[in-house]
Amino acid sequence: MKGLTLRHLSKTYFDPYSGTRVDAIHDVSLQVEAGEFVSVVGPSGCGKTTILNMIAGFLPHSGGDILVGGKPVKGPGPDRGVVFQSFALFPWKTVLDNVAFGPKMRGVARAEREKIAREYLAIAGLSEAAGRYPSELSGGMQQRVGVVRALANDPDVLLMDEPFASVDAQTRMTLQEELTRIWAEKRNTVLFITHDVGEAVFLADRVVVLTKGRVLDEIKVGLPRPRKWDDANKDPEFQRLSAQVLEKVRAA
Amino acid sequence: MILVWKIWGAYVRLTARFPSVATLMPFVPVVGLWALVAHLELFPKVFFPSPLDVWRSFIDLTWKGILPDYLQDSVVRLAVGAAWGMALGIPLGVLIGMNRIAYRALWPVLLFLQAIGDIAWLPILVIWFGYGLVTMTFVIVYTVLFPVVLNTVLGVRSVPPVLARAAQSLGAGRWSVVWEVILPGALPNIITGLRNGLGYGWRALIAAEIIVGTSGIGFLMFDARRAGSVVEIFLGMIILGILWYIVDSWVLAPIERTTGQRWGLVTR
Repeated sequence: MKGLTLRHLSKTYFDPYSGTRVDAIHDVSLQVEAGEFVSVVGPSGCGKTTILNMIAGFLPHSGGDILVGGKPVKGPGPDRGVVFQSFALFPWKTVLDNVAFGPKMRGVARAEREKIAREYLAIAGLSEAAGRYPSELSGGMQQRVGVVRALANDPDVLLMDEPFASVDAQTRMTLQEELTRIWAEKRNTVLFITHDVGEAVFLADRVVVLTKGRVLDEIKVGLPRPRKWDDANKDPEFQRLSAQVLEKVRAA
Repeated sequence: MILVWKIWGAYVRLTARFPSVATLMPFVPVVGLWALVAHLELFPKVFFPSPLDVWRSFIDLTWKGILPDYLQDSVVRLAVGAAWGMALGIPLGVLIGMNRIAYRALWPVLLFLQAIGDIAWLPILVIWFGYGLVTMTFVIVYTVLFPVVLNTVLGVRSVPPVLARAAQSLGAGRWSVVWEVILPGALPNIITGLRNGLGYGWRALIAAEIIVGTSGIGFLMFDARRAGSVVEIFLGMIILGILWYIVDSWVLAPIERTTGQRWGLVTR
């Protein structure tokens, strides 16, 4: 397990329509410790997805450093697993082959990588779906596969880009509870992007509030784990933290 | 009325058990009408033979071995041409679809060459290569190539970029992205291109055989015209239709069922 460091990270676009330079991210510094779960929350347009895309290596950054375990990142790589809002499962691969894809790229033999994939599918309660194609699953099931596919590759850092934004509210709560349970087992370093304040607090050890490409504030979340929505909703500490984060986001 | 429904129900059950019935049944009235028109001799018999005459000619030519030889010649030419068309077209399509420089350099040339239709090449090809296999193969490869390239480009560009990103962040390199993401994602379009290409190629082949051929179904038909044998011309036309139906339903449709449709990329 490794930590993630952002040092004076910035991103400047050239906008060909207006002919001007646009500063999307100004000087963001952030440390995610090894095995820590950090949520980044902010209004739309605050640059949170841009930051994630730079960490994942999908976009080049304009200034500053992105370090995983002290090493600068160059382009996309398997040390940073990504869970996408649109799931991004391979439609032509079965659930099992989707999950086994990372190990396959590492050169793990078929029998061994399928064993790994089945283990992870079992953790998420997806064993029955192993032979099915993504289009045959519900949205909630598809994103379970998306999470498990990233985890099965054993990344140093797990990057999650509003992964539960496109599933229905009830399924979302179930998925959030499952994520805290699975995370409690694996203890990956996680950076979780969301615009949902309740989700950010419920999942994380620490919530970072982002605004207009800057870090506005950080709030520690000391709630006991594993977390359940039934408990959280009654917990005055959860409510206090949520209110505090919401206030920051609205001020943003 | 109830009787009609009962007969219809029995027919539907029959086609469920024997799918070939559903294929053949629509031709029963067509052949029946043909037989009737021929029987009434609305046209002189030499110009409009009956189904039975064509059937006799089929048996006769099969017995003499001419038909199987010609059929084989045509099918092999199409298969070889299609194989070359795919072998050249798919990689070229992937290159143009993925690489902006290749797109800029090649796309206008492709559109230009596509406009010079297949048999428009025949005059110059006959001068270069004479009346023979090279000329015919060139025409088929040329005809198959463009639909395959254009549809492959379209398919490559329709693959959501997020899938390539997902593959990269799971450790896939450039070639793995092409092999595991771009090609399967483009496959439904590639098959569409192949289907169009084979259809055009089949027609171009017959045209080429008529003009430059010394064997094959197209040659059979044109040779029959020289001999004034309308029966054999009819036979040739029917064989063209049947052969295409076989290629489509035995080769192309099963590929589509097990790929794009199974994956939910194409609606049934």
